[in-house]
Amino acid sequence: MGRTKSGKHESNAGSSSGGRGSSLSPVANENSNGASNAIQAEARIKENLKELFNLVREVQDERSRSEHNLTNIARTHERMQQESRVTPYYKTKLKGLYSAAMQDADNESELLRKALDKIKEIKTIRENRRHESDRPKQIMRRGVLMTLLQQNAVTLPLWVSKPGEKPPPLCGAVPADSSYVCKAGDKVAARVKGQDGEENWILAEVVTFTPQSNKYDVDDIDAEEGKERHSISRRRVVPLPIWKANPETDPDALFPKGMLVLALYPQTTCFYRALVEEPPKGPQDDYSVLFEDTSYLDGYSPPLMVAQRYVIACKDDKKK
Amino acid sequence: MKGKGKAPQQDKDCPLQFPDLTSCDHTKECPKYTLVLSRSSEDTIGIEELDSLQADLEILLASVGKRHHLLESENQVLVNWQDKKDKKPVAGKVQPEPTPGKRGKGASAATDERPSKKFKESSGKATQPSSRAPSPAPRSKSKNPQVKDGEMVSSPAELPRVVKNECVDRFWQAMEAYSRPITDEDVKFLEEQLRKHDDEDAGYFKIPPLGRHYREVWAEEDLMEEMAEGAKVNDRKRHTNHSNHTNQTGNGTIEASSLLKKAENSMEESPFGPLTQRLVSALLEENLITPMDDVMTDLGENAEEAPAISPRMLAKQLNIGNPATLERRIQRELEEQGILETEDEVEDDPNDEILQELKRAQSELKPLLQWKVRHLKDLLKKAREQQARQQLWKKFDECDAKLHEEYRKLGLARQKKKTNLKRERESVKKVLKEWWAIYQTLDDSYNE
Repeated sequence: MGRTKSGKHESNAGSSSGGRGSSLSPVANENSNGASNAIQAEARIKENLKELFNLVREVQDERSRSEHNLTNIARTHERMQQESRVTPYYKTKLKGLYSAAMQDADNESELLRKALDKIKEIKTIRENRRHESDRPKQIMRRGVLMTLLQQNAVTLPLWVSKPGEKPPPLCGAVPADSSYVCKAGDKVAARVKGQDGEENWILAEVVTFTPQSNKYDVDDIDAEEGKERHSISRRRVVPLPIWKANPETDPDALFPKGMLVLALYPQTTCFYRALVEEPPKGPQDDYSVLFEDTSYLDGYSPPLMVAQRYVIACKDDKKK
Repeated sequence: MKGKGKAPQQDKDCPLQFPDLTSCDHTKECPKYTLVLSRSSEDTIGIEELDSLQADLEILLASVGKRHHLLESENQVLVNWQDKKDKKPVAGKVQPEPTPGKRGKGASAATDERPSKKFKESSGKATQPSSRAPSPAPRSKSKNPQVKDGEMVSSPAELPRVVKNECVDRFWQAMEAYSRPITDEDVKFLEEQLRKHDDEDAGYFKIPPLGRHYREVWAEEDLMEEMAEGAKVNDRKRHTNHSNHTNQTGNGTIEASSLLKKAENSMEESPFGPLTQRLVSALLEENLITPMDDVMTDLGENAEEAPAISPRMLAKQLNIGNPATLERRIQRELEEQGILETEDEVEDDPNDEILQELKRAQSELKPLLQWKVRHLKDLLKKAREQQARQQLWKKFDECDAKLHEEYRKLGLARQKKKTNLKRERESVKKVLKEWWAIYQTLDDSYNE
């Protein structure tokens, strides 16, 4: 028990100082079964971190190796631009250089992807540990919840397609398969009836799915009293994207300007209808959207920033 | 810009874009990454650093991905350019050809049921075989002329029902334009568009040489007009007088241009370019004065004779070929020697408003053309994919029909109260397996 406590203490201290609320310290004590699991998990995490470190170094090695080729290409470009005609010599030389550079880029992206996968692995181990010990739902303060949502949005993994690849479903604006079933722990937008009888699209987390009745059990992420579990039909649930789309390589996987979407209103946990004013320019940027708001003169709010994670296609036909 | 040395000139036909391929500077853009790198090999990463490290790695991945795409596209351009230069008929871009090519015009029945099936699928219901059951119903309803005729013949009394069908059929006929199968003609059309772009659109970017100055053209035109007027007046006069003057209007244009030319070029014409003339005059020693002092009176006439030979005759005598090439050769030689500065072409004249306008329009055109090419390529790819899929659909429909047949047989067998239905069940299972396999492939092809 003591060992696990100290082990967790180290990760807690680290996370609370660096993560700023990204993982909350589990309050409940673990039983002995949990203890051995925790030790294993701890060891695996340590191992993975070490591997990650090595991968990062490998990435940098690869990058410095490919620098050589890129400078060659730049030099050839300069020389070619000074000539008035592109000779076949230059063409073949350029082709050779390009294929070498493509190979390098391929290797580098492979290593980067491995490193990112490793990070994902570590995170899932941590998540599972947290879920095991986290049975009673945490009542978080508003501010903490908001920072958690922000964190979630920023750390959504980025999808960079290789040449010829297309972005998968649930990447940015790409819709999910018609047969997709959300897993427990997935974040979704759910249309539920509130206590006052009004229907709202809320941010929720999937608990279970019953295939016989085609219904999901979802938990409101805002865990106040009376807002907890809803059991709703599959049609009222829309999964949130699990990848961010990279505007530089897959601009088609983003919602274009003027499209009607459902976006999470900043500092709330509800989705409202909005028009896309500007899609993100860089991989870490947000959408700029105009929410439908009758309290403004032209019917729309001023542009607000919403992360890629919290913007989904709008299939709502009646106004809220 | 008039540079001192040789300014960089680009080959105007070169389709390469020479993109900037430098990788992102990780010391500036990825602080966490740099921090981690600075640790010794014995150290490791803390859990709390994962998020920022992830963000940095993603930035690196995005830049690598972009670089890869740029390299890929430039390589394609390079390969195609070489192919074109080798005069190999390249159909658009180098792409794998998935089209089997056997497909003729698709059956109209297939197209009609596909829209109705897609309609069902996109309504959000679970697309399990249960959704297949309602599809035979709309299929029979929307099967075009044959069924409708049959219905009209068999039930002329049921007017309301027939009317309802009409609307549906009209709707599907309208949709036909959008949802009919992709034929080879469509693919050929797209390829043709791409080819046209490659051949013709480059022409928009050529800056045509400066034509004749408008003053000359207008002067010529005015002169022609006046001559035409004069001729008309003459004609009328002639007509009234019934005289037999020769018709002069035919030679009007030739006379006008020659008149103008005579007006402008009052000086003696020399076929040699200005540089040649300057060079020769520089090399020629002006020592005509000394001999002429002695024999001025006697050779008074001869002195005039010397320059009496026209330069044209001189060129013929000296057997100099085309004066224009001579001019160019001289110019190039002088440039290489560094004596003559490379004259900037007229293109860089900022006062030339038309040129500026032309350049502006070209720069506006360029992104549009790029957009067009991108979408054409995209469409072409999708059209080819869809053609392959159409083949699959045909197979699927055949399998579907077989399945129905097997089920029917099974039903019959049950009706006849046969005890051993094993054979029927087996055949049904076999066809079902085949059906599922094709269904799976179809599904995957949509999700790629």
